[in-house]
Amino acid sequence: MSHHHHHASPATAMNRREWLVRSSAGLAGALGTGHLANLMLASTASAQSTGYKALVCIFLYGGNDGLNTIVPTDAARHNQYKAVRGSLHLPLAKLLPLSGVSYGLHPALAGLSPAWADGKLAPVFNVGTLYKPLTKAEFRATPASSDLLPDNLFSHSDQQNLWENGTTNTLTRTGWGGRASVALNTANPVISVGGSARFGLSEAQSPLVLPETPGDVFGSYNLQPADLSYAPNAARKKAIDAMYAERQPLDLGNAFTAAQRNAFSVSDRLGALVKVKPGSDAAFAAIDAAFASLRKADGTLTTGMAKQLYQIAKMVFRRDTVQGSRQVFFAQMGGFDTHGNQLVTGAPTEGEHARLLKQLGDALGAFYAAMKAIGMSESVTAFTQSDFGRTFTPNNSTGTDHAWGNQHLVVGGAVKGGTTYGTYPDLTLGGPDDVGVDAWERQGRWIPTTSVDQYAATLLSWFGVNDTQLLGVLPNLKNFSSKKLGFV
Amino acid sequence: MAETFSKGEPAHWRSRWHAVTAVAVFTAALTGCGGSGGGGSEAASAEAPAATTAPSADPAAPAPAPASPSPTATAPVPAAQPTTQADAVRLADQASFGPTEALVATIKSKGPATWVAEQMALPATSRYRSGLGDDIHKWTSSEDFCSGKGNTCWRDWYSTEPLLWDFYRNALGQPDQLRQRVALALQEILVVSSVEVSGTYGFRKYHNDLLDLSFGNYRDVLRKVTLSPLMGDFLNNANNDRAAPNENYARELLQLFSIGTCELEADGSLKTGKCVPTYTNDTVRAYAFALTGWTYPAGGATSYGCYPSGANCRYYGGDMVKVDKYHDTEARTLLGGHTLASGHKADAALSTVLDSLMAHPNMAPFIGKQLIQHLVSSNPSKAYVGRVAAAFTAGKYKTFGTGRRGDLAATVAAVLLDEEARTATPAASAGKLRAPALMFTGVLRALNGQTDGDALSWQWGDPLRQHMFRAPSVFNYYSPDYPVPGTQLVGPTFGIHNANTALARLNFLTYLIDWGGSVAATSAASDRLGTSANLTAFTADATSAPALVDRFSLLVLGRPLPAASRAEVIKAVEAAGTSTTSRTKAAAYLVFASPQYHIQR
Repeated sequence: MSHHHHHASPATAMNRREWLVRSSAGLAGALGTGHLANLMLASTASAQSTGYKALVCIFLYGGNDGLNTIVPTDAARHNQYKAVRGSLHLPLAKLLPLSGVSYGLHPALAGLSPAWADGKLAPVFNVGTLYKPLTKAEFRATPASSDLLPDNLFSHSDQQNLWENGTTNTLTRTGWGGRASVALNTANPVISVGGSARFGLSEAQSPLVLPETPGDVFGSYNLQPADLSYAPNAARKKAIDAMYAERQPLDLGNAFTAAQRNAFSVSDRLGALVKVKPGSDAAFAAIDAAFASLRKADGTLTTGMAKQLYQIAKMVFRRDTVQGSRQVFFAQMGGFDTHGNQLVTGAPTEGEHARLLKQLGDALGAFYAAMKAIGMSESVTAFTQSDFGRTFTPNNSTGTDHAWGNQHLVVGGAVKGGTTYGTYPDLTLGGPDDVGVDAWERQGRWIPTTSVDQYAATLLSWFGVNDTQLLGVLPNLKNFSSKKLGFV
Repeated sequence: MAETFSKGEPAHWRSRWHAVTAVAVFTAALTGCGGSGGGGSEAASAEAPAATTAPSADPAAPAPAPASPSPTATAPVPAAQPTTQADAVRLADQASFGPTEALVATIKSKGPATWVAEQMALPATSRYRSGLGDDIHKWTSSEDFCSGKGNTCWRDWYSTEPLLWDFYRNALGQPDQLRQRVALALQEILVVSSVEVSGTYGFRKYHNDLLDLSFGNYRDVLRKVTLSPLMGDFLNNANNDRAAPNENYARELLQLFSIGTCELEADGSLKTGKCVPTYTNDTVRAYAFALTGWTYPAGGATSYGCYPSGANCRYYGGDMVKVDKYHDTEARTLLGGHTLASGHKADAALSTVLDSLMAHPNMAPFIGKQLIQHLVSSNPSKAYVGRVAAAFTAGKYKTFGTGRRGDLAATVAAVLLDEEARTATPAASAGKLRAPALMFTGVLRALNGQTDGDALSWQWGDPLRQHMFRAPSVFNYYSPDYPVPGTQLVGPTFGIHNANTALARLNFLTYLIDWGGSVAATSAASDRLGTSANLTAFTADATSAPALVDRFSLLVLGRPLPAASRAEVIKAVEAAGTSTTSRTKAAAYLVFASPQYHIQR
């Protein structure tokens, strides 16, 4: 079973159990939070509403610099920002203004302007891993080994794990996307076009990982159904199937054979869909048109994120082939760990971070347009995640280091956009939001004021996970009084 | 931080070069703007490189490893003790790039201890030699280096493709197999990736250094890596400046290269059963300050001089050298009570940094367990980890090692010769999923094949998520603790095993065995060979399907297939027809497709 290192005190747990029994929440509640059985039982009571909904997680690996992704535009704060960021600041005149709020986007995110104009883009401020709400005084007084703090702040792999597993414990073996899929008993596990990320793991299943590139062959040579009319191929497939059906003495052996069996069945179902690339099938014309500026003459898409979101767009379009009325997707891009050369000195809207944000903004903008074009915009919500934000003060390599609370973006037809959510940090170095006190540690690492749990719960609630199930999928959610932030 | 790149279609170097040349020009432009350390506002006049001398004497360090390390000549070789087919095949999987009929016969007659000792005594014949030189960092024209140099310029001067060719050739043909396997394990712990930095000659030096040090001492490995200018660029410690130190290298040095993030018992288990942090952010900053003040070695030049003032131009042809004015001099507290007194210098600070890490009780289990995972098994028992950690700490395992803490010969011997690595009855939690690179070499070696590496790069390495020298980040291709659903175990290579790569494994077998691999004429590698298997030796058994299937099974699995599977495989071989070639291919394909092949015991 999965590990749960953050149990409430025994008294609290008993009180809660008693309360649930008294309030006739039923057997499910009485088993306590986080137990697998609880999720399974709760799902039978879940109201999976009619219609289709999809969540698209876009993970920005490395720690995206949210402070240059969305920037305050009121004079006082922009001056404060400019003074600290120095040559790493984005000038006011270069920012993409967001109408109605005192913020602007990095100009490389121009691809998201239509979503803002439609009122379907919601920035969420200062989100990060938290066990419970945390003041600066509490943070300073709490030893790093305490359960009251997330494991290994500022470490890439650990913070990626925590954002993906939705707990503050790096030993958790499952992801919140995987647990939500189990709670809703979805037809498929999380479908990833960005590798085997932990976000999609559940106790019994891996994420379903498909090729990133539209047009790739997704199937076994000589062993696909069409190949089996040739007797030697059929005999080989029979032998393969027999080997992969046999019980193995090693646990890893059984995990391997399960993955192989699953690969065959999934490729039979989805191979043809994966093969579709821009221009290859007129049925996908609406999606192709939305991605038109991101493709070359031969149909190849120009960036990794464009490819991944195109794959997901196809699967939303052909959801009957994919099966299921609720689907979690996972995509990702890397390279955000901009310790050095984050931008070009003297041309701050150019450089590495700009290049990364442009890839994100253009692809996500195309995906949003595609969803509108196929009439699925209100059914699909995309959201970003990342290891952590980056230090407000730059280092001497024209870059930034690891921090904590970060700004994120949510896009989709159901999003209540056109306004901002969460609380933008107080930009004072060494101030109430900054973990640091002494001169050498005052770098603007913001203590989050919104937790990953609250962010995820808002998305999952829209997705159809009910309140009881939410407490199971996100075990620390109970520590936060406001469980849904209202952005979708 | 995973990278995304297209896969599936064979890459031609022309289109690949055009795709990456933008990056090359971009990177060069960044360098021109003082990208490697600040100081971009200084006038673009040529500056003499910093007049620093060769690395100052590091009193606590031993003499640096010689360029061609002499074998551990004084270590006595244990007396030969013959072993079983199964044990010999398993050792070949653990300590070489895969069994061949000849290698298995050798190991059977010598036994593991003798074979391992002889391997450690062999001269280090595997080297990285391909690719071009340091001209890229002596280029003083304002034109891009690759301008007018044709479409293989980026590949040969900047990329790691030439190293990939050497890696696979050496893996197939060089006799110092164990040294290469240990160097491979080290490079998956101390990762430098050409996804983020470039310079072929720099990568050659880095990886030749790892080969040299594979049976030496881990402190020397850490020192060499810390002073590597290539690593200095990858994790930003080159020209790291006390005024605002970059924390990247210090953090990954602690987290990945030495002690890890959670306090460990000597047997590798978590102290108190959960993660008690080994260090805080304050510690990382202290190490970052301690490691400031190193610049590239002298030898580089640009058209606009070297920045910042006092630093050398980018150059990968040696260890980094110290630059006092950029080195922090404040008193600092490191781990385990090690301190730096006010006024310290970079080389003494480095020595204290290394001492503090070598002394930390985490290092032996943290590094020891990963060596077990790379060579033998993903889920070693605590007792096994404890024994390997003890060998690392003592610097000694039976007749192996010098007795100095951190001895890799002792540690590797402990990993391979431990009862858990050699038992004929492994537990249900034993084994590991064969990594893609080792599947390529394993199949090719067993089938008397050859390769120049070209097809194992973009065409097959990339789709299987193990493109050599191009890990997505410093966190390697997969993490040591990737959880395997449906079990309570971890499986690092399961982190790159999914529906997509599961089929790609089988498709590689079809490509190589059924379709003949790649012909030399289509290869981009130097001294082209293509990639192919040679089934001739096996066709002699083709008339009897059982004999054929058993021959492959005994060679690559160490034992026959389980009865039910074996019967089905024999039927499929007979269904392939009467042609000896068709039958041999079917048998080879199916045995290499078996779960027993992909999950090494």
